[in-house]
Amino acid sequence: MKFLKLSILLPAVVAVAACGTKIDKTVDRGIDSKHLSQLQAGIWVDPNGCDHWIIDDGAEGYLSQRLDPYGKPVCSGTAPPNTATGAFKSGSPVPDPI
Amino acid sequence: MKRIGAVHEFNAKSVRGVIGGVLGGLAAIALGATLIVGEAAAQSSGQRVVIGETYIPTIWVDPDGCEHWVMDDGWEGYMTPHVNRQGIPVCRRGNVCGEMHSDQLFATNSANISASGRKHLAKFFQTTGAISYIITGHTDSRASDQYNLDLSYRRATAVASIAAANGARIADVRGYGERQPKASNNTAAGMQKNRRVEIICIR
Repeated sequence: MKFLKLSILLPAVVAVAACGTKIDKTVDRGIDSKHLSQLQAGIWVDPNGCDHWIIDDGAEGYLSQRLDPYGKPVCSGTAPPNTATGAFKSGSPVPDPI
Repeated sequence: MKRIGAVHEFNAKSVRGVIGGVLGGLAAIALGATLIVGEAAAQSSGQRVVIGETYIPTIWVDPDGCEHWVMDDGWEGYMTPHVNRQGIPVCRRGNVCGEMHSDQLFATNSANISASGRKHLAKFFQTTGAISYIITGHTDSRASDQYNLDLSYRRATAVASIAAANGARIADVRGYGERQPKASNNTAAGMQKNRRVEIICIR
């Protein structure tokens, strides 16, 4: 199963790589093209217990701090440290072999 | 600040295979002369030459309603919170879900919550159902800054203890004193608005 996914993904990745410098950084180009505002996030809890938004968008991964209105880290206790929760892998139909 | 457009091609960091590398190298040699001329001109006019690529982000709004800068480089994705120069996040909506007027909870200069206040807070925390809460105390600008920091913290702690007694998880308790006013301290009505305990719901 893993080999099958890779055999689909790798030629696609090579095709993307051949396109040269990517000018517009605001869209996910190639296999599942969409505007980046459409990303689906989950929560990753860091070793200190504080929350970060985590997004697995197929080839790209994103991580960004969750801040409260005063700019302080949000340490909600929604999950134990070193845990990722939520539907953060659901935003892309591109299979993630890893 | 001056940006040289021609520099883009050979400064790009992503992998483009052997052919791309050779072409890039040739381009670098060809552009080298132009670049030196450009630098000399820029230095004589007092400008600084910046070698870089254009990276323009877009905005992703997180489930709390706050903005993040996001870029997709083809291979890599980048993201960082959008904060202003004071470090305050730029948000399209707030997650302050409860604001208690201090006048309804406390006597002047006191951090003891009235009986009716306790009942009201208990009901609030029993019914809101957030994952956790951040509780911040605030005062008006009368009395000293240090006194207000202390009073607002004691009041926030008093609210947090009722939250905890009603099964709520507390993420943080803070006293901001008079430093985060939401209205003018020049009017009685403004000062009354500033005397408050804010409850932020983390969902």
